[in-house]
Amino acid sequence: MVRFFKELGHYLDVTVHVIKMAFMTIIEYPSNIAGWLISNPLQFIMGFAIIKFVVESFGQINGWTYGQLAFLYGLSVISHALSMIFFVQGWFMGYFVIEGEFDRYLTRPLGVLYQFFFTNINIFGITDLIPGILVFIYGCVKCHVVVSPLFVIQIIIMLVGATFIRGGIYILLGSTSFHTRSAVDFGQYTQEIMDKTTMYPLSMYPESMQFILTYLIPIGWVSFYPVSSLLGVEAKFSGLVIPFVTLAVGFIVMLIAGAYFNFGLRKYESAGN
Amino acid sequence: MLKKYLYVIKTQIIRSMAYEFNVYGNIIMQTIIMITSAYFWRALYKGQTMVGDVDVDSMLTYVIMSSILSVLFITNVERRIQNSVEKGTVATDLMKPINVFGVYFAEDIGNIIALVFQNILPIFIIGSLMIKLPTMANPKDIPLFIISVIESFLINWLVAALFGMIAFTAVNIDALIQVKKHLLRLLSGSIIPIWFFPVGVQKVLEGLPFVYIYQLPLSIYIGKGSSVEYLSQMRIQFIWLVVLSVVFFFVQNKVIRKVMVQGG
Repeated sequence: MVRFFKELGHYLDVTVHVIKMAFMTIIEYPSNIAGWLISNPLQFIMGFAIIKFVVESFGQINGWTYGQLAFLYGLSVISHALSMIFFVQGWFMGYFVIEGEFDRYLTRPLGVLYQFFFTNINIFGITDLIPGILVFIYGCVKCHVVVSPLFVIQIIIMLVGATFIRGGIYILLGSTSFHTRSAVDFGQYTQEIMDKTTMYPLSMYPESMQFILTYLIPIGWVSFYPVSSLLGVEAKFSGLVIPFVTLAVGFIVMLIAGAYFNFGLRKYESAGN
Repeated sequence: MLKKYLYVIKTQIIRSMAYEFNVYGNIIMQTIIMITSAYFWRALYKGQTMVGDVDVDSMLTYVIMSSILSVLFITNVERRIQNSVEKGTVATDLMKPINVFGVYFAEDIGNIIALVFQNILPIFIIGSLMIKLPTMANPKDIPLFIISVIESFLINWLVAALFGMIAFTAVNIDALIQVKKHLLRLLSGSIIPIWFFPVGVQKVLEGLPFVYIYQLPLSIYIGKGSSVEYLSQMRIQFIWLVVLSVVFFFVQNKVIRKVMVQGG
């Protein structure tokens, strides 16, 4: 037990240093900071504007009002931002495999997956977080949500779960590179698909797709099911327990992803061979 | 002279064919995106036949053709410029007896030729089977459509190249590439046609080059508007093409001189 806590302390220590280093590296290219500060909020503000235009043209989206859509969109962007901060490296795993970058991690006395994600922590993800929070607050106001401690806890639990689901999916997709040996970056596509399935009500898609996105690739739990139960809109699953289901699903996806990553790592050949 | 560029195109085609998994992966991902978009529009049109003068069938055609055009408009020139500036190979590239930007253009053309078979045909077939056959509204407008697509392609490439040239001063332009990508995706009508936007926003966007990349050829394809409207819009498209070309050649000479000076 003592050893476990000692190790945990060590990991936390390393994490603090790594985050400091991440701050240092982002100031390397000043124009880049400005670029991300514009690019990421711009993307979501425009995405949100488009929802507004669509709602104005069509009245509502599958029975969801504008305020409810803002609530859904905001939470989806927040969990997206969190997954960008901690797990975006999964998108680039292919390059690490091809270039033999895992060699460095394998020689160090820390978990490979931990090093892979945390030594490359992406502070810029914060720029996604801000528009997400703004849209979410706007949605809360429009829906006249009563902010109680229970509500806050539910939101936090749900966001942790949602971030794990997203991160797990990035790891799963990235780990395919161990088998295919290709550096293909599906990040943009993954994001586009996730945007379409988490920022709009899942119920607008056909039954078969909803089934897949609920039980096989659990994207529905990222935002749609928790939000529909919180707001009480066409809730297929409802109750206080829903955010915890998201969390549980997140853990399961993460465990599977971790196992698949370790399985892939065994097939990894370093750059020299 | 042209032979050199043809050789670059050929090499690029072969290079694009190397990774089989990428090809299948891309097709699967793009198909999923296309099909979700189709369901998105179907759900929106539930209970309504015409919104913004367009019915659901035309909108589905719009989605399929937009996916196909987005493959045609893949450019790599920004990243190529960034890499060669970052690694310093731009100096040796400029010494070669062939225009660097010509090489980048030829590489992008080669890539697209490979993609016609790898992506465009599969997307077309899957789209036709799973969504609907994307037939053109007025077949007599085919020449207009083809000309506008060629102009769109060139405008798109010039915008990408101009963004890429920022790398000569900023070195790392990852973020700017993203800015450009989002601007293009949302302001060009590639995801949601701008006729669903408020009139004021539409007016502003019609003044920018982006709508002439996706929305104009797609409008011609689904028959939104009349031939007279198409021609007047294509005139603006052509003006943008000329303006961007002039800016491109001006900036190109400037950056090349800059590199030369740095090199001694």
